[in-house]
Amino acid sequence: MIKVVSVAADMVTSYGWGTDVCWEGLFSGKTAIRPIERFPTHNLQTGNAATVPGLTMKPDESLVMQMLRPLLDKSSIEIPYDTFIILATTNGDIEFVQRFVLDEENNPEKSLPDCLLDKIMLLTGTFGKGMVVSSACASSSIAVSRAASLIRNKVYDCILVIGCDCVSEFVTAGFSSLMALDPDVAKPFDKNRQGLSLGEAAGYMLLMSEERAAKGNTAVMGEVAGWGLTNDANHITGPSRDGSGLYQAIYTALKSAGIAENKIGSISAHGTGTVYNDSMEMKAIRSVFAENTLPVYSVKGGIGHTLGAAGLLEIIISFKSLDKKITPPTVNLFDIDEEAEGWVFPYPQTFESSYTLSTNSGFGGVNSALILKI
Amino acid sequence: MIVVTGIGWVNHKEYGCIIEKDKKSHEGFNSLHSCFKNESIFLYPVKNFGRFDMISRTTCFCAALALKDAGISYSNDHKHAHKRDMGIMGTNEEGCLESNINYYKDYIDSGRILARGNLFVYTLPSTPLAEAAIHFGLSGPLLHMSFKENKLSSLLGFAKRSIIEKEATAMLAVNAEESDAISFVLENKDDISNKRSLTLENVIFAAEKSSFDEMISALSDLK
Repeated sequence: MIKVVSVAADMVTSYGWGTDVCWEGLFSGKTAIRPIERFPTHNLQTGNAATVPGLTMKPDESLVMQMLRPLLDKSSIEIPYDTFIILATTNGDIEFVQRFVLDEENNPEKSLPDCLLDKIMLLTGTFGKGMVVSSACASSSIAVSRAASLIRNKVYDCILVIGCDCVSEFVTAGFSSLMALDPDVAKPFDKNRQGLSLGEAAGYMLLMSEERAAKGNTAVMGEVAGWGLTNDANHITGPSRDGSGLYQAIYTALKSAGIAENKIGSISAHGTGTVYNDSMEMKAIRSVFAENTLPVYSVKGGIGHTLGAAGLLEIIISFKSLDKKITPPTVNLFDIDEEAEGWVFPYPQTFESSYTLSTNSGFGGVNSALILKI
Repeated sequence: MIVVTGIGWVNHKEYGCIIEKDKKSHEGFNSLHSCFKNESIFLYPVKNFGRFDMISRTTCFCAALALKDAGISYSNDHKHAHKRDMGIMGTNEEGCLESNINYYKDYIDSGRILARGNLFVYTLPSTPLAEAAIHFGLSGPLLHMSFKENKLSSLLGFAKRSIIEKEATAMLAVNAEESDAISFVLENKDDISNKRSLTLENVIFAAEKSSFDEMISALSDLK
Protein backbone atom coordinates (compact mmCIF):
# COMPACT_ATOMS: atom_id res chain seq x y z
CA MET A 1 0.00 0.00 0.00
CA ILE A 2 1.18 3.52 -0.80
CA LYS A 3 2.29 5.39 2.33
CA VAL A 4 1.06 8.95 2.79
CA VAL A 5 3.55 11.24 4.52
CA SER A 6 3.51 14.80 5.77
CA VAL A 7 6.51 16.81 4.62
CA ALA A 8 5.71 20.33 5.82
CA ALA A 9 3.23 22.08 8.07
CA ASP A 10 2.74 25.33 9.89
CA MET A 11 0.04 27.30 11.68
CA VAL A 12 -1.03 30.59 13.16
CA THR A 13 -3.11 30.49 16.32
CA SER A 14 -4.06 32.85 19.11
CA TYR A 15 -0.64 32.12 20.65
CA GLY A 16 0.99 33.65 17.57
CA TRP A 17 2.78 32.66 14.37
CA GLY A 18 4.25 29.21 14.05
CA THR A 19 3.80 25.67 15.32
CA ASP A 20 6.58 26.09 17.87
CA VAL A 21 4.89 29.18 19.30
CA CYS A 22 1.65 27.21 19.73
CA TRP A 23 3.53 24.27 21.24
CA GLU A 24 5.31 26.51 23.73
CA GLY A 25 2.07 28.35 24.50
CA LEU A 26 0.34 25.10 25.38
CA PHE A 27 3.29 24.03 27.54
CA SER A 28 3.15 27.38 29.36
CA GLY A 29 -0.23 26.24 30.65
CA LYS A 30 -1.63 29.71 29.98
CA THR A 31 -4.66 30.19 27.79
CA ALA A 32 -4.61 32.39 24.67
CA ILE A 33 -8.36 32.99 24.94
CA ARG A 34 -8.83 36.72 25.46
CA PRO A 35 -11.46 39.50 25.31
CA ILE A 36 -12.94 40.05 21.84
CA GLU A 37 -12.23 43.56 20.53
CA ARG A 38 -13.51 43.07 16.98
CA PHE A 39 -17.28 43.46 17.54
CA PRO A 40 -19.65 44.27 20.40
CA THR A 41 -20.27 41.29 22.67
CA HIS A 42 -22.58 42.65 25.36
CA ASN A 43 -25.58 40.66 24.06
CA LEU A 44 -23.59 37.49 23.48
CA GLN A 45 -23.00 34.59 25.82
CA THR A 46 -19.33 35.52 26.22
CA GLY A 47 -16.95 38.35 25.46
CA ASN A 48 -13.97 36.01 25.05
CA ALA A 49 -12.45 34.13 22.13
CA ALA A 50 -9.05 32.94 20.99
CA THR A 51 -8.30 35.68 18.47
CA VAL A 52 -5.02 36.06 16.60
CA PRO A 53 -3.19 39.20 17.76
CA GLY A 54 -2.99 41.92 15.11
CA LEU A 55 -5.88 40.84 12.88
CA THR A 56 -8.38 43.59 12.14
CA MET A 57 -11.39 44.00 9.87
CA LYS A 58 -10.06 45.52 6.65
CA PRO A 59 -11.95 46.42 3.48
CA ASP A 60 -9.29 44.97 1.19
CA GLU A 61 -8.34 41.73 2.89
CA SER A 62 -10.39 39.22 4.85
CA LEU A 63 -9.40 37.96 8.30
CA VAL A 64 -8.70 34.51 6.93
CA MET A 65 -6.44 35.89 4.18
CA GLN A 66 -4.61 37.99 6.77
CA MET A 67 -3.63 34.67 8.33
CA LEU A 68 -3.05 32.65 5.16
CA ARG A 69 -0.99 35.13 3.15
CA PRO A 70 1.91 35.50 5.63
CA LEU A 71 1.70 31.83 6.58
CA LEU A 72 2.11 30.61 3.00
CA ASP A 73 4.56 33.39 2.05
CA LYS A 74 7.02 32.24 4.69
CA SER A 75 6.47 28.54 4.05
CA SER A 76 9.63 26.57 4.77
CA ILE A 77 9.13 24.45 1.67
CA GLU A 78 8.41 25.36 -1.93
CA ILE A 79 4.95 24.14 -2.88
CA PRO A 80 5.29 22.16 -6.12
CA TYR A 81 3.38 23.45 -9.17
CA ASP A 82 1.42 20.17 -9.54
CA THR A 83 0.05 20.30 -5.98
CA PHE A 84 -3.68 19.62 -5.60
CA ILE A 85 -5.19 21.87 -2.92
CA ILE A 86 -7.87 20.91 -0.42
CA LEU A 87 -9.31 23.79 1.55
CA ALA A 88 -11.15 22.92 4.76
CA THR A 89 -13.34 25.55 6.33
CA THR A 90 -16.77 25.96 7.86
CA ASN A 91 -17.36 29.61 7.01
CA GLY A 92 -14.27 30.91 5.19
CA ASP A 93 -14.58 34.59 4.34
CA ILE A 94 -17.82 35.01 6.27
CA GLU A 95 -17.34 38.75 6.77
CA PHE A 96 -18.45 39.28 3.14
CA VAL A 97 -21.90 38.02 4.18
CA GLN A 98 -21.86 40.32 7.21
CA ARG A 99 -20.97 43.29 5.00
CA PHE A 100 -23.63 42.40 2.44
CA VAL A 101 -26.36 42.27 5.08
CA LEU A 102 -25.18 45.45 6.77
CA ASP A 103 -24.59 47.70 3.76
CA GLU A 104 -25.69 45.63 0.73
CA GLU A 105 -22.72 47.02 -1.19
CA ASN A 106 -20.73 43.85 -1.27
CA ASN A 107 -21.26 40.78 -3.35
CA PRO A 108 -22.08 37.97 -0.88
CA GLU A 109 -20.74 35.41 -3.36
CA LYS A 110 -17.28 36.62 -2.38
CA SER A 111 -17.86 34.67 0.83
CA LEU A 112 -18.07 31.35 -1.01
CA PRO A 113 -15.24 28.97 -0.08
CA ASP A 114 -14.59 28.48 -3.82
CA CYS A 115 -13.52 32.15 -4.04
CA LEU A 116 -11.18 31.63 -1.11
CA LEU A 117 -9.77 28.56 -2.85
CA ASP A 118 -9.07 30.69 -5.96
CA LYS A 119 -7.15 33.19 -3.84
CA ILE A 120 -5.13 30.38 -2.24
CA MET A 121 -4.29 28.96 -5.66
CA LEU A 122 -3.00 32.33 -6.79
CA LEU A 123 -0.99 32.64 -3.59
CA THR A 124 0.61 29.23 -3.94
CA GLY A 125 1.14 29.44 -7.70
CA THR A 126 -0.09 25.89 -8.23
CA PHE A 127 -1.68 24.48 -11.38
CA GLY A 128 -5.25 25.37 -10.48
CA LYS A 129 -6.72 22.08 -9.27
CA GLY A 130 -8.38 21.83 -5.92
CA MET A 131 -11.53 21.41 -3.89
CA VAL A 132 -13.21 22.53 -0.68
CA VAL A 133 -14.22 20.15 2.12
CA SER A 134 -16.74 21.20 4.72
CA SER A 135 -17.87 18.86 7.44
CA ALA A 136 -18.51 21.09 10.43
CA CYS A 137 -15.82 20.92 13.13
CA ALA A 138 -14.22 17.83 11.60
CA SER A 139 -13.65 19.60 8.25
CA SER A 140 -9.87 19.65 8.22
CA SER A 141 -9.28 16.21 9.70
CA ILE A 142 -11.68 14.84 7.09
CA ALA A 143 -9.81 16.89 4.46
CA VAL A 144 -6.56 15.17 5.52
CA SER A 145 -8.28 11.79 5.19
CA ARG A 146 -9.49 12.74 1.66
CA ALA A 147 -5.96 13.80 0.74
CA ALA A 148 -4.60 10.51 2.05
CA SER A 149 -7.23 8.57 0.12
CA LEU A 150 -6.42 10.43 -3.12
CA ILE A 151 -2.71 9.68 -2.66
CA ARG A 152 -3.31 6.03 -1.69
CA ASN A 153 -5.45 5.61 -4.82
CA LYS A 154 -2.79 7.27 -7.03
CA VAL A 155 -5.05 10.13 -8.12
CA TYR A 156 -2.48 12.71 -6.93
CA ASP A 157 0.85 12.34 -5.19
CA CYS A 158 1.22 15.83 -3.72
CA ILE A 159 -1.63 17.57 -1.87
CA LEU A 160 -1.72 20.72 0.22
CA VAL A 161 -4.41 20.72 2.91
CA ILE A 162 -5.34 24.12 4.30
CA GLY A 163 -7.61 24.65 7.29
CA CYS A 164 -8.89 28.05 8.37
CA ASP A 165 -11.68 29.91 10.10
CA CYS A 166 -11.96 33.27 11.85
CA VAL A 167 -13.77 34.62 14.89
CA SER A 168 -16.78 36.59 13.64
CA GLU A 169 -19.93 38.11 15.06
CA PHE A 170 -21.83 35.80 12.69
CA VAL A 171 -20.51 32.63 14.32
CA THR A 172 -20.25 33.92 17.90
CA ALA A 173 -23.90 35.02 17.87
CA GLY A 174 -24.89 31.63 16.47
CA PHE A 175 -23.09 29.61 19.11
CA SER A 176 -24.50 32.02 21.73
CA SER A 177 -28.00 31.22 20.52
CA LEU A 178 -27.29 27.53 21.07
CA MET A 179 -25.92 28.29 24.57
CA ALA A 180 -22.78 26.40 23.59
CA LEU A 181 -20.18 28.90 24.79
CA ASP A 182 -18.45 29.06 28.15
CA PRO A 183 -19.05 32.59 29.52
CA ASP A 184 -15.44 32.61 30.72
CA VAL A 185 -12.95 30.28 28.96
CA ALA A 186 -13.29 26.70 27.71
CA LYS A 187 -12.27 24.10 30.29
CA PRO A 188 -12.06 20.78 28.43
CA PHE A 189 -12.64 17.68 30.58
CA ASP A 190 -13.12 19.82 33.69
CA LYS A 191 -16.02 19.11 36.08
CA ASN A 192 -17.06 22.76 35.80
CA ARG A 193 -16.89 23.11 32.03
CA GLN A 194 -19.75 25.12 30.56
CA GLY A 195 -19.06 25.20 26.86
CA LEU A 196 -16.52 25.97 24.21
CA SER A 197 -14.52 29.11 23.42
CA LEU A 198 -14.35 30.04 19.77
CA GLY A 199 -10.95 30.49 18.22
CA GLU A 200 -9.44 31.50 14.91
CA ALA A 201 -6.50 29.95 13.14
CA ALA A 202 -5.05 28.85 9.86
CA GLY A 203 -2.75 25.99 9.10
CA TYR A 204 -1.38 23.98 6.23
CA MET A 205 0.08 20.54 5.70
CA LEU A 206 1.80 19.30 2.57
CA LEU A 207 1.19 15.59 2.02
CA MET A 208 2.97 13.36 -0.48
CA SER A 209 3.30 9.73 -1.36
CA GLU A 210 6.36 8.30 0.33
CA GLU A 211 7.83 7.68 -3.12
CA ARG A 212 7.43 11.31 -4.20
CA ALA A 213 8.96 12.58 -0.95
CA ALA A 214 11.91 10.21 -1.36
CA LYS A 215 12.47 11.28 -4.99
CA GLY A 216 12.76 14.90 -3.91
CA ASN A 217 14.85 14.05 -0.84
CA THR A 218 12.15 15.76 1.17
CA ALA A 219 12.30 15.31 4.94
CA VAL A 220 9.28 13.46 6.35
CA MET A 221 7.44 14.60 9.49
CA GLY A 222 5.30 11.51 9.83
CA GLU A 223 2.74 9.27 8.20
CA VAL A 224 -1.06 9.38 7.98
CA ALA A 225 -1.45 5.67 8.69
CA GLY A 226 -5.23 5.26 8.77
CA TRP A 227 -8.57 6.89 9.33
CA GLY A 228 -12.20 6.26 10.13
CA LEU A 229 -15.16 8.54 9.46
CA THR A 230 -18.66 8.02 10.82
CA ASN A 231 -21.89 9.84 11.51
CA ASP A 232 -24.03 9.54 14.63
CA ALA A 233 -27.23 10.00 12.56
CA ASN A 234 -28.79 11.13 15.79
CA HIS A 235 -29.09 14.91 16.32
CA ILE A 236 -28.27 18.01 14.29
CA THR A 237 -26.20 19.78 16.96
CA GLY A 238 -25.55 17.34 19.80
CA PRO A 239 -23.37 14.25 19.77
CA SER A 240 -24.66 10.76 20.39
CA ARG A 241 -24.58 10.50 24.19
CA ASP A 242 -23.05 7.02 24.28
CA GLY A 243 -20.09 7.80 22.03
CA SER A 244 -20.93 4.90 19.72
CA GLY A 245 -20.33 6.92 16.54
CA LEU A 246 -16.84 7.99 17.61
CA TYR A 247 -16.11 4.48 18.90
CA GLN A 248 -16.88 3.14 15.43
CA ALA A 249 -14.69 5.81 13.79
CA ILE A 250 -11.72 4.86 16.02
CA TYR A 251 -12.30 1.16 15.36
CA THR A 252 -12.38 1.79 11.57
CA ALA A 253 -9.23 3.92 11.80
CA LEU A 254 -7.35 1.17 13.63
CA LYS A 255 -8.44 -1.30 10.97
CA SER A 256 -7.43 1.11 8.20
CA ALA A 257 -3.96 1.48 9.79
CA GLY A 258 -3.73 -2.27 10.36
CA ILE A 259 -2.87 -1.97 14.03
CA ALA A 260 -4.39 -3.01 17.36
CA GLU A 261 -5.47 -0.45 19.93
CA ASN A 262 -2.53 -1.28 22.22
CA LYS A 263 -0.17 0.28 19.65
CA ILE A 264 -1.63 3.76 20.28
CA GLY A 265 0.45 5.80 22.72
CA SER A 266 -1.57 8.99 23.12
CA ILE A 267 -4.77 10.70 22.00
CA SER A 268 -5.41 14.23 20.81
CA ALA A 269 -9.09 14.56 21.68
CA HIS A 270 -11.59 16.99 20.18
CA GLY A 271 -12.19 18.17 23.79
CA THR A 272 -14.31 21.25 23.15
CA GLY A 273 -15.29 21.88 26.74
CA THR A 274 -19.00 21.29 26.19
CA VAL A 275 -20.61 18.97 28.70
CA TYR A 276 -21.87 16.52 26.11
CA ASN A 277 -18.90 16.40 23.73
CA ASP A 278 -16.28 15.68 26.38
CA SER A 279 -18.44 13.08 28.09
CA MET A 280 -19.20 11.37 24.77
CA GLU A 281 -15.50 11.31 23.87
CA MET A 282 -14.43 9.74 27.13
CA LYS A 283 -17.12 7.07 26.75
CA ALA A 284 -15.85 6.25 23.24
CA ILE A 285 -12.17 6.26 24.31
CA ARG A 286 -12.87 4.11 27.36
CA SER A 287 -14.87 1.67 25.22
CA VAL A 288 -11.96 1.21 22.80
CA PHE A 289 -9.04 1.22 25.23
CA ALA A 290 -10.83 -0.23 28.28
CA GLU A 291 -8.49 -0.31 31.29
CA ASN A 292 -5.37 0.48 29.24
CA THR A 293 -5.21 4.16 30.12
CA LEU A 294 -3.10 6.41 27.91
CA PRO A 295 -2.51 10.16 27.82
CA VAL A 296 -5.44 12.11 26.37
CA TYR A 297 -5.29 15.89 25.85
CA SER A 298 -7.19 18.78 24.30
CA VAL A 299 -5.60 21.95 22.93
CA LYS A 300 -8.86 23.94 23.00
CA GLY A 301 -8.35 25.39 26.48
CA GLY A 302 -5.35 27.14 24.94
CA ILE A 303 -6.32 28.06 21.38
CA GLY A 304 -10.10 27.75 21.54
CA HIS A 305 -12.23 25.84 19.07
CA THR A 306 -10.95 26.88 15.66
CA LEU A 307 -13.77 25.05 13.82
CA GLY A 308 -12.65 24.20 10.27
CA ALA A 309 -8.99 24.56 11.21
CA ALA A 310 -9.18 22.53 14.42
CA GLY A 311 -8.49 19.04 13.08
CA LEU A 312 -5.49 20.10 11.01
CA LEU A 313 -3.87 22.04 13.87
CA GLU A 314 -4.38 19.05 16.14
CA ILE A 315 -2.77 16.72 13.59
CA ILE A 316 0.25 19.05 13.35
CA ILE A 317 0.53 19.18 17.15
CA SER A 318 0.12 15.38 17.25
CA PHE A 319 3.11 14.92 14.93
CA LYS A 320 5.15 17.23 17.16
CA SER A 321 3.99 15.30 20.20
CA LEU A 322 4.99 12.00 18.53
CA ASP A 323 8.39 13.44 17.72
CA LYS A 324 9.00 14.58 21.29
CA LYS A 325 7.17 11.60 22.88
CA ILE A 326 5.31 13.96 25.18
CA THR A 327 1.74 15.31 25.16
CA PRO A 328 0.93 18.95 25.87
CA PRO A 329 -0.98 19.75 29.05
CA THR A 330 -4.73 20.27 28.81
CA VAL A 331 -4.91 24.00 29.52
CA ASN A 332 -7.65 25.30 31.89
CA LEU A 333 -8.10 21.88 33.51
CA PHE A 334 -8.48 22.53 37.23
CA ASP A 335 -10.92 19.94 38.56
CA ILE A 336 -10.86 16.81 36.41
CA ASP A 337 -14.20 15.29 35.50
CA GLU A 338 -14.63 11.79 36.91
CA GLU A 339 -14.99 10.31 33.43
CA ALA A 340 -11.57 11.71 32.44
CA GLU A 341 -9.68 10.86 35.63
CA GLY A 342 -6.50 8.93 34.93
CA TRP A 343 -6.62 9.87 31.23
CA VAL A 344 -6.51 13.67 30.95
CA PHE A 345 -4.00 15.80 32.87
CA PRO A 346 -3.25 19.51 33.34
CA TYR A 347 0.45 18.75 32.84
CA PRO A 348 2.50 17.03 30.09
CA GLN A 349 2.59 13.23 29.86
CA THR A 350 5.32 11.13 28.30
CA PHE A 351 4.67 8.03 26.19
CA GLU A 352 6.69 5.53 24.16
CA SER A 353 4.62 4.54 21.11
CA SER A 354 5.16 5.59 17.49
CA TYR A 355 1.41 5.88 16.94
CA THR A 356 -1.07 8.51 18.08
CA LEU A 357 -4.78 9.01 17.55
CA SER A 358 -6.45 12.34 16.71
CA THR A 359 -10.23 12.64 16.95
CA ASN A 360 -12.78 15.28 15.98
CA SER A 361 -16.56 15.49 16.07
CA GLY A 362 -19.03 18.14 14.99
CA PHE A 363 -22.52 19.36 14.19
CA GLY A 364 -24.62 16.89 12.28
CA GLY A 365 -23.01 14.03 14.22
CA VAL A 366 -19.78 13.82 12.20
CA ASN A 367 -16.85 11.93 13.72
CA SER A 368 -13.31 11.47 12.46
CA ALA A 369 -10.42 9.47 13.83
CA LEU A 370 -6.95 9.58 12.30
CA ILE A 371 -4.00 7.37 13.19
CA LEU A 372 -0.66 9.12 12.83
CA LYS A 373 2.74 7.47 12.88
CA ILE A 374 6.29 8.66 13.13
CA MET B 1 -16.65 -3.20 -8.99
CA ILE B 2 -18.62 -0.22 -7.73
CA VAL B 3 -22.00 0.27 -9.45
CA VAL B 4 -24.94 2.64 -9.21
CA THR B 5 -28.05 0.92 -7.87
CA GLY B 6 -30.37 3.90 -7.47
CA ILE B 7 -30.81 7.43 -8.81
CA GLY B 8 -33.49 9.80 -7.52
CA TRP B 9 -34.15 13.29 -8.80
CA VAL B 10 -36.52 16.19 -8.25
CA ASN B 11 -37.09 19.58 -9.82
CA HIS B 12 -39.74 22.26 -9.38
CA LYS B 13 -42.39 20.31 -11.33
CA GLU B 14 -41.39 16.62 -11.47
CA TYR B 15 -39.61 13.86 -9.60
CA GLY B 16 -38.43 10.43 -10.58
CA CYS B 17 -36.36 7.30 -10.17
CA ILE B 18 -33.98 6.43 -13.03
CA ILE B 19 -33.61 2.67 -12.67
CA GLU B 20 -37.33 2.11 -12.02
CA LYS B 21 -37.94 4.42 -15.01
CA ASP B 22 -40.56 6.24 -13.01
CA LYS B 23 -41.42 9.95 -13.42
CA LYS B 24 -44.25 11.96 -11.85
CA SER B 25 -45.44 15.54 -11.75
CA HIS B 26 -45.96 17.46 -8.54
CA GLU B 27 -47.53 20.75 -7.55
CA GLY B 28 -44.48 22.38 -6.01
CA PHE B 29 -41.96 21.74 -3.25
CA ASN B 30 -44.36 22.94 -0.57
CA SER B 31 -46.72 20.02 -1.19
CA LEU B 32 -44.02 17.42 -1.83
CA HIS B 33 -43.48 16.38 1.80
CA SER B 34 -47.07 15.27 2.24
CA CYS B 35 -47.10 13.80 -1.27
CA PHE B 36 -44.01 11.69 -0.40
CA LYS B 37 -45.63 10.58 2.86
CA ASN B 38 -48.82 9.55 1.04
CA GLU B 39 -46.86 7.60 -1.56
CA SER B 40 -44.63 6.00 1.10
CA ILE B 41 -41.51 7.53 -0.45
CA PHE B 42 -40.90 8.92 3.02
CA LEU B 43 -41.56 5.77 5.04
CA TYR B 44 -42.22 7.89 8.13
CA PRO B 45 -42.49 11.68 8.62
CA VAL B 46 -39.26 13.68 8.46
CA LYS B 47 -38.78 15.20 11.91
CA ASN B 48 -38.58 19.02 12.00
CA PHE B 49 -39.09 19.20 8.22
CA GLY B 50 -40.88 22.53 8.65
CA ARG B 51 -37.73 24.25 9.85
CA PHE B 52 -35.44 22.77 7.18
CA ASP B 53 -33.83 25.17 4.73
CA MET B 54 -34.62 24.62 1.06
CA ILE B 55 -31.47 22.61 0.28
CA SER B 56 -32.12 20.29 3.23
CA ARG B 57 -35.58 19.67 1.76
CA THR B 58 -34.41 18.92 -1.76
CA THR B 59 -31.61 16.76 -0.31
CA CYS B 60 -34.12 14.64 1.61
CA PHE B 61 -36.49 14.42 -1.39
CA CYS B 62 -33.84 13.11 -3.79
CA ALA B 63 -32.20 10.86 -1.19
CA ALA B 64 -35.56 9.18 -0.49
CA LEU B 65 -36.10 8.64 -4.22
CA ALA B 66 -32.60 7.22 -4.75
CA LEU B 67 -32.98 4.78 -1.84
CA LYS B 68 -36.38 3.72 -3.18
CA ASP B 69 -34.85 3.28 -6.65
CA ALA B 70 -32.14 1.07 -5.11
CA GLY B 71 -34.76 -0.97 -3.27
CA ILE B 72 -33.31 0.06 0.08
CA SER B 73 -35.83 0.27 2.86
CA TYR B 74 -35.35 2.13 6.11
CA SER B 75 -37.26 2.78 9.29
CA ASN B 76 -37.05 4.91 12.38
CA ASP B 77 -36.00 1.78 14.30
CA HIS B 78 -32.41 2.75 13.51
CA LYS B 79 -32.42 5.06 16.50
CA HIS B 80 -32.62 2.06 18.77
CA ALA B 81 -31.15 -0.66 16.61
CA HIS B 82 -28.71 -0.88 13.74
CA LYS B 83 -28.05 2.11 11.56
CA ARG B 84 -27.17 1.63 7.92
CA ASP B 85 -23.47 1.41 7.02
CA MET B 86 -23.90 3.99 4.30
CA GLY B 87 -22.17 7.36 3.99
CA ILE B 88 -23.42 10.56 2.40
CA MET B 89 -21.40 13.03 0.34
CA GLY B 90 -22.73 16.16 -1.28
CA THR B 91 -21.89 19.05 -3.51
CA ASN B 92 -23.69 22.11 -4.85
CA GLU B 93 -23.03 25.48 -6.43
CA GLU B 94 -23.40 27.94 -3.57
CA GLY B 95 -23.05 25.89 -0.40
CA CYS B 96 -25.28 27.47 2.24
CA LEU B 97 -25.02 31.09 1.05
CA GLU B 98 -28.79 31.71 1.11
CA SER B 99 -29.08 30.31 4.64
CA ASN B 100 -26.08 32.38 5.76
CA ILE B 101 -27.79 35.56 4.54
CA ASN B 102 -31.16 34.61 6.05
CA TYR B 103 -29.64 33.83 9.44
CA TYR B 104 -27.54 37.01 9.62
CA LYS B 105 -30.35 39.27 8.37
CA ASP B 106 -32.61 37.85 11.06
CA TYR B 107 -29.94 38.51 13.71
CA ILE B 108 -29.40 42.09 12.54
CA ASP B 109 -33.16 42.70 12.28
CA SER B 110 -33.51 41.56 15.91
CA GLY B 111 -31.25 44.44 16.91
CA ARG B 112 -28.25 42.11 17.37
CA ILE B 113 -29.86 40.87 20.54
CA LEU B 114 -30.44 37.22 19.82
CA ALA B 115 -29.60 35.05 16.87
CA ARG B 116 -31.89 32.14 16.09
CA GLY B 117 -30.30 28.74 16.58
CA ASN B 118 -32.80 27.18 14.17
CA LEU B 119 -31.41 29.36 11.39
CA PHE B 120 -27.78 29.13 12.52
CA VAL B 121 -27.65 25.35 12.15
CA TYR B 122 -28.16 25.72 8.38
CA THR B 123 -25.10 27.94 8.01
CA LEU B 124 -22.97 24.86 7.38
CA PRO B 125 -23.00 23.33 3.89
CA SER B 126 -22.95 19.87 5.49
CA THR B 127 -26.18 20.39 7.46
CA PRO B 128 -28.58 19.25 4.68
CA LEU B 129 -26.56 16.03 4.42
CA ALA B 130 -26.77 15.63 8.20
CA GLU B 131 -30.56 16.07 8.13
CA ALA B 132 -30.75 13.29 5.54
CA ALA B 133 -28.34 11.10 7.55
CA ILE B 134 -30.53 11.48 10.64
CA HIS B 135 -33.75 10.64 8.82
CA PHE B 136 -32.39 7.68 6.84
CA GLY B 137 -30.04 6.42 9.59
CA LEU B 138 -26.83 6.76 7.58
CA SER B 139 -23.81 6.12 9.82
CA GLY B 140 -20.93 6.30 7.32
CA PRO B 141 -18.75 9.30 6.36
CA LEU B 142 -20.56 12.63 5.90
CA LEU B 143 -19.00 15.52 4.04
CA HIS B 144 -19.75 18.37 1.68
CA MET B 145 -17.32 19.11 -1.12
CA SER B 146 -17.10 21.70 -3.85
CA PHE B 147 -14.96 21.27 -6.91
CA LYS B 148 -13.31 23.56 -9.41
CA GLU B 149 -14.49 21.41 -12.33
CA ASN B 150 -16.30 18.15 -13.23
CA LYS B 151 -18.51 18.49 -10.17
CA LEU B 152 -20.57 15.32 -10.46
CA SER B 153 -17.83 13.01 -11.72
CA SER B 154 -15.57 14.25 -8.91
CA LEU B 155 -18.29 13.63 -6.33
CA LEU B 156 -18.99 10.14 -7.67
CA GLY B 157 -15.25 9.42 -7.71
CA PHE B 158 -14.97 10.28 -4.02
CA ALA B 159 -18.02 8.15 -3.21
CA LYS B 160 -16.51 5.23 -5.13
CA ARG B 161 -13.15 5.50 -3.34
CA SER B 162 -14.94 5.66 0.00
CA ILE B 163 -16.40 2.20 -0.65
CA ILE B 164 -13.09 0.87 -2.00
CA GLU B 165 -11.33 2.12 1.15
CA LYS B 166 -14.00 0.29 3.23
CA GLU B 167 -15.12 3.52 4.90
CA ALA B 168 -18.70 2.32 4.31
CA THR B 169 -20.36 -0.47 2.36
CA ALA B 170 -22.50 1.96 0.36
CA MET B 171 -22.56 5.68 -0.38
CA LEU B 172 -25.21 8.23 -1.23
CA ALA B 173 -23.85 11.01 -3.47
CA VAL B 174 -26.04 14.13 -3.57
CA ASN B 175 -26.05 17.25 -5.70
CA ALA B 176 -28.81 19.39 -4.20
CA GLU B 177 -29.69 22.94 -5.20
CA GLU B 178 -32.78 24.91 -4.17
CA SER B 179 -34.44 24.33 -7.54
CA ASP B 180 -33.42 20.75 -8.31
CA ALA B 181 -31.54 17.83 -6.84
CA ILE B 182 -30.20 14.43 -7.78
CA SER B 183 -28.86 11.60 -5.66
CA PHE B 184 -27.01 8.37 -6.51
CA VAL B 185 -26.69 5.16 -4.50
CA LEU B 186 -23.34 3.46 -5.00
CA GLU B 187 -22.73 -0.11 -3.88
CA ASN B 188 -20.22 -2.88 -4.47
CA LYS B 189 -21.42 -5.23 -7.22
CA ASP B 190 -20.36 -8.18 -5.06
CA ASP B 191 -22.80 -7.13 -2.33
CA ILE B 192 -25.98 -6.71 -4.36
CA SER B 193 -26.71 -10.17 -5.88
CA ASN B 194 -29.29 -9.71 -8.64
CA LYS B 195 -30.20 -6.11 -8.02
CA ARG B 196 -30.42 -3.98 -11.19
CA SER B 197 -27.56 -1.54 -11.57
CA LEU B 198 -25.81 0.85 -13.93
CA THR B 199 -22.08 1.05 -14.46
CA LEU B 200 -20.47 4.02 -12.76
CA GLU B 201 -18.64 4.99 -15.95
CA ASN B 202 -21.90 5.28 -17.91
CA VAL B 203 -23.56 7.25 -15.13
CA ILE B 204 -20.62 9.66 -14.93
CA PHE B 205 -20.70 10.18 -18.69
CA ALA B 206 -24.44 10.91 -18.65
CA ALA B 207 -24.25 13.07 -15.53
CA GLU B 208 -21.81 15.56 -17.02
CA LYS B 209 -24.43 17.26 -19.22
CA SER B 210 -24.74 21.02 -19.12
CA SER B 211 -28.31 21.25 -17.86
CA PHE B 212 -30.31 19.33 -15.27
CA ASP B 213 -33.00 18.31 -17.78
CA GLU B 214 -30.39 17.05 -20.28
CA MET B 215 -28.72 15.05 -17.53
CA ILE B 216 -32.01 13.40 -16.48
CA SER B 217 -32.76 12.63 -20.10
CA ALA B 218 -29.28 11.09 -20.66
CA LEU B 219 -29.50 9.07 -17.45
CA SER B 220 -33.00 7.84 -18.37
CA ASP B 221 -31.61 6.51 -21.66
CA LEU B 222 -29.02 4.32 -19.91
CA LYS B 223 -29.58 0.58 -20.04
